[in-house]
Amino acid sequence: MRSLLSVLVFLFIAVVQAVSSSGDRLLVILEDDAEKAGYSKFLGDLESRGFEITYETPKSESLSLFHLGERSYDHVLLLPTKSKGLGPNLTPNILLDFINANGNILLTLSSSTPAPTSIVSLLLELDIHLPPDRQGLVVDHFNYDTSSASETHDVLLLPSPGPLRPGLKDFFSPVSEDGNLLAFPHGMGQTLGQGALLSPILRAPATAYSYNPKEQSEVVDDLFAAGQQLSLVSTMQARNSARFTVVGSAEMLSDQWFDAKVKKLGEKSAVKTLNRAFAKQVSGWTFKEIGVLRVNWVEHHLNEEGMSNASNPKIYRIKNDVKYSISLSEYSWDKYIPFEVPESDALQLEFSMLSPFHRLQLTPQISSSDSTYSVAFTLPDQHGIFNFKVNYKRPFFSNIEEKHTVSVRHFAHDEWPRSFVISGAWPWMAGIGATVTGWLAFCAIWLYSAPSAAKKNQ
Amino acid sequence: MRFLYSLTPSLLLLAAGAAQAASSWGFADATVSVNSKKGAGTGSKEKFSVKAPLSQPVVLGTTDSLKILLTAQEDGKDKRPHQAFVVLQEPTTGLEAPFPLTVKESGKATVEIKQSELPVQLAASTAPLKASIVLASFGSSEGLNTPIFDVEIKTDPTASPVVYEKPLRYGKQEEIHHIFRDDPKSPPKVISLAFVLAVVATVPALFVGWLALGANVSHLSKALSDAPLAHGVFFGSIIAMEGVFFMYYVSWNLFQTLPVAGIVGTATFLSGAKALGEVQSRRLAGER
Repeated sequence: MRSLLSVLVFLFIAVVQAVSSSGDRLLVILEDDAEKAGYSKFLGDLESRGFEITYETPKSESLSLFHLGERSYDHVLLLPTKSKGLGPNLTPNILLDFINANGNILLTLSSSTPAPTSIVSLLLELDIHLPPDRQGLVVDHFNYDTSSASETHDVLLLPSPGPLRPGLKDFFSPVSEDGNLLAFPHGMGQTLGQGALLSPILRAPATAYSYNPKEQSEVVDDLFAAGQQLSLVSTMQARNSARFTVVGSAEMLSDQWFDAKVKKLGEKSAVKTLNRAFAKQVSGWTFKEIGVLRVNWVEHHLNEEGMSNASNPKIYRIKNDVKYSISLSEYSWDKYIPFEVPESDALQLEFSMLSPFHRLQLTPQISSSDSTYSVAFTLPDQHGIFNFKVNYKRPFFSNIEEKHTVSVRHFAHDEWPRSFVISGAWPWMAGIGATVTGWLAFCAIWLYSAPSAAKKNQ
Repeated sequence: MRFLYSLTPSLLLLAAGAAQAASSWGFADATVSVNSKKGAGTGSKEKFSVKAPLSQPVVLGTTDSLKILLTAQEDGKDKRPHQAFVVLQEPTTGLEAPFPLTVKESGKATVEIKQSELPVQLAASTAPLKASIVLASFGSSEGLNTPIFDVEIKTDPTASPVVYEKPLRYGKQEEIHHIFRDDPKSPPKVISLAFVLAVVATVPALFVGWLALGANVSHLSKALSDAPLAHGVFFGSIIAMEGVFFMYYVSWNLFQTLPVAGIVGTATFLSGAKALGEVQSRRLAGER
């Protein structure tokens, strides 16, 4: 009976682990339970990937992100709500605490409803800025869908975003067969602060801009943001690797725009949208199904011939040859796979005491089941307490900060070269030899010398 | 129904735009002038159009401001567009800064850009900025996005230069390789050997000097016959002590050295009484 139970528990754990690397409890906040229907495909996709979805409205009294100080949910999806605030259970403070407790949040905005004040304050905390008056609409008179928004130009059609910078892994570009486009309907853009934790997934095209449809319908007197400065889908990955994503258009995730046919200005044929694949990637990233790194093991040892090469010694000597290896895995949807550093990026090892003495590139050895990065180097000629430190922080990858402390000692007195191999010491050694010879000869003469003839004559 | 909220504000434009299908936006009477702050003005006022952008870059000094005047037109008729921007682009990074034009109902649009208003990344640019005009609005009229001229930023050589500090971005960093201190160096071996010779040469010199003064070991046989054991052990222990020091230099540690040195020293002490007594007896006999 007991073994059966443990097997069941094991199976349960296995199922849980097959979902996301950080749990499967997903809370969806929406205005009204009936709105679920509009996002049935997106939510169905999430359910089929193994998430256990709980639906709540902000007004619900039973809604609580924490229970007895522990997170009640692993992930939160916030769909647009009409109320001005989000009530006492979803204050900016609670949402920040949720992020600090390693919970992930996927926030969706819409131009049709002003963003709740609670959300605006939360975003300000993270240095993400929304248009003034909590309302804005992104339009582009050059890249819009002619079939659904030929007059209003507020359904933006965009190509796959591609990697943010060279050297970063491209998580968010769904494969498109025939020039498929992303539709971004009726969305609110954001601008991002200078922080390194913020990174946009999808930026607006150069001719897009954001305006307030209530006040600026005639003329744009005060421009909030335009062009590439306007971020349509942005992310923030906290230092604890908790993820926060803002999708500017909730409709982007709705059934209507999943696989809808759109026609770009100037194009003849309509193409299907990529929204479903894009939504999978964005939600998968936010809920830690992709881009999560894990350190399997770290090993360092002496790399000198004829000396002990025990693993992870506590102490080394200056100028020792040492080899350091680290094994990394990356979570990909339902399993860990060997991690490969993106092209033109590098995994680096720092050997540091206060500041790095060495910062070296680790070279990979990747097999089908394991990826090991290693480097062999000579320790610096400085004794002290040093760290082997791998500090791999990149946008869209969870943070790795692996620190292993070792002592580095001086040469012991019997590890120096002997004086006879130092040519500069030879005169001094000859001096000692001369002194010894002279002393022994003096002793012999003092003991055994007979008075000389000259003395006898005295 | 779904689009109604966003439709309402632009209903007016919609009504106007729907009439002409393949119409497009353009502008006329466009001029650009550079005015200096002192009011004197450089006086340069140049006309440009979609077909004839300026070939020469416009030079913008530190205190100058760039003023662009134009009349927006839809299909040749003066009209106000919703989007009327002058976009300045830094050509090396592709960074863009939009400056909205103030547009009147009649389509007359104006914008004044001071150098101090430029974002620091653009103000610090050494390459000329590319200015373009974007005119577009709701409806079916085709928007206009056309380059008009280049702007050369002239900075005041006496003022402190504009420095753009890149924000922190996570990425790979420069490699660091520790620079090791130099190994200790010895002088050339020839010099060392010369000094070794000089030092070694003192030993024969000492011996020659002693011999010249009449040093000898003639009493050795007498001493050995009088106290053979004492003299053998005494002189032997003096040599052995040097041997102990040699072993300490070559391989022994202090804890191996000290007991042996103690034994040798005791032997020296015990045999010394007898051997030195014999030497004293020779002195008392007047043989020294």
